[in-house]
Amino acid sequence: MTDPRVERLGELVVNYSLELSEGQVLRIDGLEIGAPLALATYRAALGVGAHPYTNLSLDGLLELMLETGSEEQLAYISPVQALEIESIDALVTIWSEANTRSLTRVDPGKHSRYIAAHRTLSNRRWERIASGEMRWCGTLHPTLAHAQDADMSLEDYEAFVFAACHSDKENPAAHWSEVAESLGARAEELGSVRELRIVGPDTDLRLGVEGRTWLAADGKYNMPDGEVFTSPRETETAGEIRYSFPAIFQGREVEDIRLRFEGGRVVSAEAARGEEYLRSLLDMDDGARVLGEVAFGLNYEIDRFTRNILFDEKIGGTMHLALGAAFAQAGGENSSGLHWDMICDLREEGEVYADGELVWKAGEFLSEPVVHA
Amino acid sequence: MSADSRIERLASVLVDYSTDVQPGQLVLIESSPLAAPLVLAVARRVMDAGAHPQTRIAVDGLTETLLAHGTDAQLEWVNPARVEDYERADVRMVFEAEFNTRSLSSIDPERLALAGRARERLRDRYLERAAAGELRWVITLFPTYSAAQDAEMSLAQYEEFVYGAGRLDEKDPVGEWRRFGEDLTRLAEWLDTKSEVRVISNGTDLTVGVEGRTWIPCDGKENFPDGEVFTGPVETSLEGEIHFSFPASFQGRMVEDIRLRFKGGEVVEAHAARGQDFLDAMLAMDDGARRAGEFAFGMNEAIQEFTRSTLFDEKIGGTMHLALGKAYPESGGQNQSALHWDLVCDLRSGSEVFVDGELVYRDGRFLPGTY
Repeated sequence: MTDPRVERLGELVVNYSLELSEGQVLRIDGLEIGAPLALATYRAALGVGAHPYTNLSLDGLLELMLETGSEEQLAYISPVQALEIESIDALVTIWSEANTRSLTRVDPGKHSRYIAAHRTLSNRRWERIASGEMRWCGTLHPTLAHAQDADMSLEDYEAFVFAACHSDKENPAAHWSEVAESLGARAEELGSVRELRIVGPDTDLRLGVEGRTWLAADGKYNMPDGEVFTSPRETETAGEIRYSFPAIFQGREVEDIRLRFEGGRVVSAEAARGEEYLRSLLDMDDGARVLGEVAFGLNYEIDRFTRNILFDEKIGGTMHLALGAAFAQAGGENSSGLHWDMICDLREEGEVYADGELVWKAGEFLSEPVVHA
Repeated sequence: MSADSRIERLASVLVDYSTDVQPGQLVLIESSPLAAPLVLAVARRVMDAGAHPQTRIAVDGLTETLLAHGTDAQLEWVNPARVEDYERADVRMVFEAEFNTRSLSSIDPERLALAGRARERLRDRYLERAAAGELRWVITLFPTYSAAQDAEMSLAQYEEFVYGAGRLDEKDPVGEWRRFGEDLTRLAEWLDTKSEVRVISNGTDLTVGVEGRTWIPCDGKENFPDGEVFTGPVETSLEGEIHFSFPASFQGRMVEDIRLRFKGGEVVEAHAARGQDFLDAMLAMDDGARRAGEFAFGMNEAIQEFTRSTLFDEKIGGTMHLALGKAYPESGGQNQSALHWDLVCDLRSGSEVFVDGELVYRDGRFLPGTY
């Protein structure tokens, strides 16, 4: 029995997000537990005359690599993977996990070295996406593990996921086209801003965004989506920020992170829990201490923290800042094996100033963007 | 550690004995997710050997979706990543672990044939690299409900059957396979000196030319479990008729009671009590599909039951099988085809085999002192 919400999500990703066309090659990545959505995506891709194929892993394989791999094995990139990243036209990543904490106990240093070694692949992927040679979309099939992280039953969590994607309704693509128009106008408006100042509890951070391009995250790269983001200037971030939500990377949770920036770089980092892991990630490489992204979360159907960055970073009324890799298409230059989104809840008492003017208060922009026809 | 130590032992046999994985090698593991415990056990063993496991996990329903809904262009598309897999891999392992062995039953045989022809060069390339010693491969089966159901057994009974056939209940499975391999090698070496095999059984009187061809002893290196000797018969030599008493399963289809008549090496008449259309479509796949690419004796006495799985059925001690289509290059067989369909004939009662005119085999056994 297929769930029509899953079928519609597959169609949405193929037709709206990737705009896949006849003859294109689509690879569908993920873990086997996301197979129902992989199959729905595959079916939708066949429907447009494309050549889809799946590239699914099993829970436990990455853990095995990180537990038992020698340095040579950790750094190994197969010639097949290298060829694929050069040749595929589109990629879907289904982030579904069987157990979101399966990597909690692996050696963080080893994990960082594994990620750093695979940077050539991830960099090449971003390059091809930025230059328009390849399309990519990340999405999720609801599983028990994610429901548990969200403190929800699977049934409730499924309703939450599909509502956030609008695949619980007919023609979700029409909804996302409207979102695209509104977010596009907001991004255009932010494009003229030189400096952002975020003020909140234990937070007063200035970011330089002059000359950078704000992008509307309107369901092309992520599903669900709903944010506007850019890559801040690499040397200008200054001040401090406290993240009220836990920050999660590769299944490990770091709580109550406080960062101080000077000249664009993190100069001090503290956490109530997971501080050692935080430091190991900051030391992953040279770019790991520099912000690669600043963004406003604007999907108001996502109204709760569910310990999953795909959703959490879009919670309507939040901001997030990512350490590590920047987006070339935003004008960002920072390069790193890391891209770690940390979310700051501004729904209660947050304020954001653009070039000194208050533009955001308590989780909402103070004015509607002007939509240019 | 897995709860089932037989899986650990199977992993060890596959990695250390069957494919002899070496440090730095690229090891492909192709499986359905149902064999996850075996995939993980093998991956661990491959890591321990200093090599690089790369998994290719199938999705239930995907092939069916492609074959049912794909355009001809989609059916004929060969993924460049799979081409690269077979070009680069040092070892290829395939774990059969079906969700439903009949999921392709309703697919138009013509479309199966189209997809099969498109992937012919992929298969030929890995067989070519295997014959040249550049790639080792092994196919095994992980017990699933689907396969147990086909065997008309409970899953627990089927597991006993599968692991028993692989000698995995023994203390030293590899030792058992080496000893068995020595016996099969003696038989193969003896057959190498012969020119003609004639099989007589119920509804069967078939003569097969094997002069100049190489007989291969199958001792668990490319199939696991194993236990056969095979060769690629002289392409134009087959004469007479053969009746396959066991149903022949292929791509989820069952064809029952197949009778073939050969003339000059080619199938000139083909009948089946059930599945005639499918049989006809397979024979019409290409020129080579009407010729035999393999002739073999099944020699594994631990496999006595027909279970509707070719991997096991073709090794039943006391059977022979003949494959229509592609020959294995290392046997000296030349036949080319997108098809390789093993058809098994029970010789355990009322049968005789003559080699160069001499009676050497009766009712499923070679006569003592033959080789």
